[in-house]
Amino acid sequence: MRSLNIHRILALGAVAAAVTATAGLATATPAYAATSKVSVVHGIPATPVDVYVNGKVTLKDFKPGDVAGPLDLPEGSYDLDLTKPGEPIDKAILSVDGAKVPGGANISIVAHLDAAGTPKITPFVNDVSKVGAGKARLIVRHTAAAPAVDVRAGGTPVFKGLTNPDEAKADLPAGTVSADVVLAGTTTVAIPATDVDLKEGTATIVYATGSAEGKNLGVVAQVITGLHSAPGGVPSGDGGLADESGMSAWWLAAAAAALLLAVGGGVRMATRRTTR
Amino acid sequence: MTMPRPYGAPRDTRGARRPGVTRRHALHLFGGMSLLAAAGCRADADDPAPAVDGLVGDSSSPTALTPGVAVPVQPGVLPTGGPTIAPARLAIPAMSLNARVEPVGIDARTGDFAVPPSVDRVGWYRYGPGLEATAGSIVIAGHVDSATQGKGAFFGLRDLDEDDPVTVWDARGGSAAFRVVAVEQYRKTRIPLDRYFARDGAPRLTLITCGGPFDKATRHYRDNIVVTATRS
Repeated sequence: MRSLNIHRILALGAVAAAVTATAGLATATPAYAATSKVSVVHGIPATPVDVYVNGKVTLKDFKPGDVAGPLDLPEGSYDLDLTKPGEPIDKAILSVDGAKVPGGANISIVAHLDAAGTPKITPFVNDVSKVGAGKARLIVRHTAAAPAVDVRAGGTPVFKGLTNPDEAKADLPAGTVSADVVLAGTTTVAIPATDVDLKEGTATIVYATGSAEGKNLGVVAQVITGLHSAPGGVPSGDGGLADESGMSAWWLAAAAAALLLAVGGGVRMATRRTTR
Repeated sequence: MTMPRPYGAPRDTRGARRPGVTRRHALHLFGGMSLLAAAGCRADADDPAPAVDGLVGDSSSPTALTPGVAVPVQPGVLPTGGPTIAPARLAIPAMSLNARVEPVGIDARTGDFAVPPSVDRVGWYRYGPGLEATAGSIVIAGHVDSATQGKGAFFGLRDLDEDDPVTVWDARGGSAAFRVVAVEQYRKTRIPLDRYFARDGAPRLTLITCGGPFDKATRHYRDNIVVTATRS
């Protein structure tokens, strides 16, 4: 299933490889699709990396806090290695070999710390189902070396007891929310409040990253657009003044009259503006 | 299906980029023979007019897998509000209309477009593109009428013609000029709202109101009138 094209696709290959290596994504793969949309998220503080796909460098000096992609990755099998910038592949700090990549999903591959502070890669399948008109999706992922947390919006916990590497999500009214992260069940702030603009028809994915012990907890955000729905309808009249019922006879009469006029000498019925 | 009506029906074959035919065209421009032809051509435009077809983007086309193209990388910063420019006034000389435009969203109870209750005002769909748009449909809807307030701002919408000018102003006096390319009529049960609320495709202005036969029992119009205009 290898494709030469794949070698030229930077993070794609890396992403996909990691995906199947670490999680069963088959259930996320509709039968009709053969490619996945893939993004790569760097959530390991102070550790820029080079990303190798099938032995070739495809992302150079990929920096913490950055998001690469999304691109379309054909399903297939890939090798993925992350190295410190400029270092050879045999000194990779994270590797995944021979991973099968399914098609048809929207995937984020996240390099991050586990709860104990060890670097790892976790693939997430993104919920890209449509949101209702006027709504936005908020997805929060715990990818930090930190204990269980609560996520608060406007001071009220909305996601409780989230642990690494889990996610929580909700479809909310579009708009700006002030969100912060506290240690679960407490008011001890782990990540200070910040305004998050939840744009209608999008999914905003917020990754908690870094290390509590290292005092470098932070967030990385990824936005997926195009999930909007149209309103259910456009009700815009209940008076009946513009009623067009029962006009068939009128139209027939008008048509007949027009035909007679046209036949009788090509008489112009009216000018455009004078009939307003 | 009781009353054939020429306007709004896409008269040309699909794919040709010509506007939908309006009633005024049929009456005034083409004379009697054309009127008959148009009137016999269709009742409800339950397929979009070719002029609109040409504006709608192919939202299914993903990023191409072109060899040599670098993977885009962006900072994973939290999103901030975009530079949306809200329409503030709408002028359509052919309707003698100069109406205030309010930003509106969704009626939480019904899930419908929240058309402003005051019929002399029209509503801009604030979740979609504004005047800054380089793609997608700027949607403004208004009442054709109201049982309690009489005729609405969009009472004459159905009579617009191809090339009629439409101007939209923002709150700071900046304006955008459009011209009508299509007037269409759909049963509300069959209107393809997704394409009129699209965020991709050519930048365009979409004006929507009610029309068609009125059901006195439910006090609902059967149809929606949709006017599409592009930048002039």
